[in-house]
Amino acid sequence: MFGSFKVGEKGKIINISKVGRMVQRRLLDLGITEGSEVCIKCVMPFGGPVMIESCGQCVGLRLKEARLIEVERV
Amino acid sequence: MEIALIGNPNTGKTSLFNNLTGSYEYVGNWSGVTVEKKVGVFKNNIGRLIDLPGVYSLNPLSKDEGVVTSFFLEEPVDRLLNILDASQLERNLHLTIQLLEYEKPALIGLNMVDVAANRGIHIDTEKLSQILGVPVVPVVARNGKGCDRLIEVISTSSNHSKVKKHVFYGKEIEDAISELSIDLIGKTDHSPRWLALQLFEGNEYVKNYLSKLIEPTKLELFISHLESVLNQENKNKKSLANYIYLKRKEVIEKILVASVRKVRTVVPLTEKIDSIVTNRYLGMPIFLICMYLMFMLTFDWLGTPLSDVLDGILTGPVTTGFEKFLVTINASDFIHALIIEGLIAGVGGVLVFVPQIFILFFFISLLEDSGYMARVALVMDRIMESVGLNGKAFIPMMIGFGCNVPGIMAARTIETPRERLMTILLTPLMSCSARLPVYALFVGAFFVGHKALVVLSLYVLGIVVALLLAKIFTKTLLKSETSLFVIELPPYRLPQVQSLWRSTWDKGKGFVRKAGTFIFAGSVFIWLLSYAGPNGLKVDMDDSFLAAIGNLFAPLLEPIGFGTWQAAASLITGFLAKEAIISTMNIIYFVPENASLQGLLSDFYTPLAAYSFMVFILLYIPCLATAATIYKETGSKKWTAFSILYALFIAYVLCLVIYQGGKLFGLV
Repeated sequence: MFGSFKVGEKGKIINISKVGRMVQRRLLDLGITEGSEVCIKCVMPFGGPVMIESCGQCVGLRLKEARLIEVERV
Repeated sequence: MEIALIGNPNTGKTSLFNNLTGSYEYVGNWSGVTVEKKVGVFKNNIGRLIDLPGVYSLNPLSKDEGVVTSFFLEEPVDRLLNILDASQLERNLHLTIQLLEYEKPALIGLNMVDVAANRGIHIDTEKLSQILGVPVVPVVARNGKGCDRLIEVISTSSNHSKVKKHVFYGKEIEDAISELSIDLIGKTDHSPRWLALQLFEGNEYVKNYLSKLIEPTKLELFISHLESVLNQENKNKKSLANYIYLKRKEVIEKILVASVRKVRTVVPLTEKIDSIVTNRYLGMPIFLICMYLMFMLTFDWLGTPLSDVLDGILTGPVTTGFEKFLVTINASDFIHALIIEGLIAGVGGVLVFVPQIFILFFFISLLEDSGYMARVALVMDRIMESVGLNGKAFIPMMIGFGCNVPGIMAARTIETPRERLMTILLTPLMSCSARLPVYALFVGAFFVGHKALVVLSLYVLGIVVALLLAKIFTKTLLKSETSLFVIELPPYRLPQVQSLWRSTWDKGKGFVRKAGTFIFAGSVFIWLLSYAGPNGLKVDMDDSFLAAIGNLFAPLLEPIGFGTWQAAASLITGFLAKEAIISTMNIIYFVPENASLQGLLSDFYTPLAAYSFMVFILLYIPCLATAATIYKETGSKKWTAFSILYALFIAYVLCLVIYQGGKLFGLV
């Protein structure tokens, strides 16, 4: 799970279907979907959003949504 | 020839637009919605370029993106100019595929080839052009490299597109496309294939369009049938949209293999900067320091000295010049007073603040262009989320510091209707540049030692009130769970002088224009009201119509510290435009040479009353243009009235607390 990842760790998305429909669609627009390799860039304090990177592209999303993305370590 | 410029957000569309066109022909609105429509003329006059909002796909999520789809469905266009970010080719090509399916002649401007090269991505443009069947021109929009070649290709490339099927979507979908195409024969000018695919993807706009041509129930049946057929074929149930996406992705991957060569990868500078500015602990302090520097420069270090110089010119040589001219032409007393006490005082009083306003707009443009704005949204999201908004709402608010009107329009990028409405309602609390002259005047008179700090406190107060109200609205009026926050963080870009100047000027010229038109006419009118009274012309100001009107409201303002007719009269004109407050005050407290309005003000206000007055100006009402924009954007009289009334209420209550509370603590 994404929640257990630390800054700088990399993973591959294996299931994104638990995330809300709109968020899923936006991530898809940005090229982030199942099979994408992602890396946690930073985590804002107090449960704030996380910044992830995929293919040189940085995206910010909320922690609670990031937690719903299933990721396996690579 | 009408050419539409389209591409993903943050691909350098604006830079390319600026480089291809000499000047705007006009900035108008799209029919039905208040979305800025920028149209420019190509440098060599081959046609007009229409700038569209940035989108990832033609299937819209937000209102902003809906504009693009409506454009494709309703407006005539001869050619499409698709701009791609070479360093993010894969994602950008999803849009390109949809554009090619639209079957209008297209060409591609491959932007940021330099950035891509730095990241070790090399693109064979000829190969790419050959596969896609359209011309591909590499450009660097930031410095204009390749733009001449692009214009040349636009003017020479043939008008006929080679219709080429790039993606084979599988037998089931292809059959469905053909079936739907038969139903559409003779009913539409658009490509049936494009319409069908957008429909299958769940594009509501296209669905509405099609339901005018085909029985809606039949459409529904058609889609559900296709879905069930697909589900039988594939064990793992994927949505139709996802299925289409994957088919496109497969093709795009093949295109990339054939045309892109990747070499070494280096850590871009962006990531190094990001590790600081979006740092867990430093993010927020850095943002506040940036804001502080911005205000110090605008009010203390740079803006005020420049304004003082301008003020010296206007009250000195300009006024004496006019005086001399009026004497030579033997102007009557009436004309003399109208021009000197009405126009020069009114319009000049506003123009003095042009330097400060341009400096503020320059910083807002800098924040937008450099890519920091998106980081601010990320840093602020946690706070915004706690009051029921999302970090993206902070961007319209920041833009609102310049002018509330574009701020409110920028709220269109917020996907969920509830958060968008709330952002629209709260953006007027952001202190716009038109309120700035009032602050500048009052801090100069009462808070000389702490100018920037006092003004900053007002800006912060606006934000704090907005956040508190957001919390209250979420709990009462606008209850809903949905919230969406996914934001693209573009790489940092060193802003170009030319584009910075252009966007500063775009924002600032409205202020200058308003001074020449609205404030000009308003000054004449206000001056007439102050010149005439129930007992005839040239009355003592205290017996004028203006005083009579002001006196009606003055008692109401007494408890909050400024129960004079002068304050009441200027607040009324402030609804028309916030700058009008300053021109009205300049006319009312008309001061002969060798004295200043600032000196005179201390006879009418105490420092506490002055602060209360500034807070009132900050909050009391959205100006006429803002109210009109709120109405257009929400489409609701109820919400527009609400935005005016709640602001008045909050302003009054807060000023009451500040003034009466301040008096209790012995402040004056």
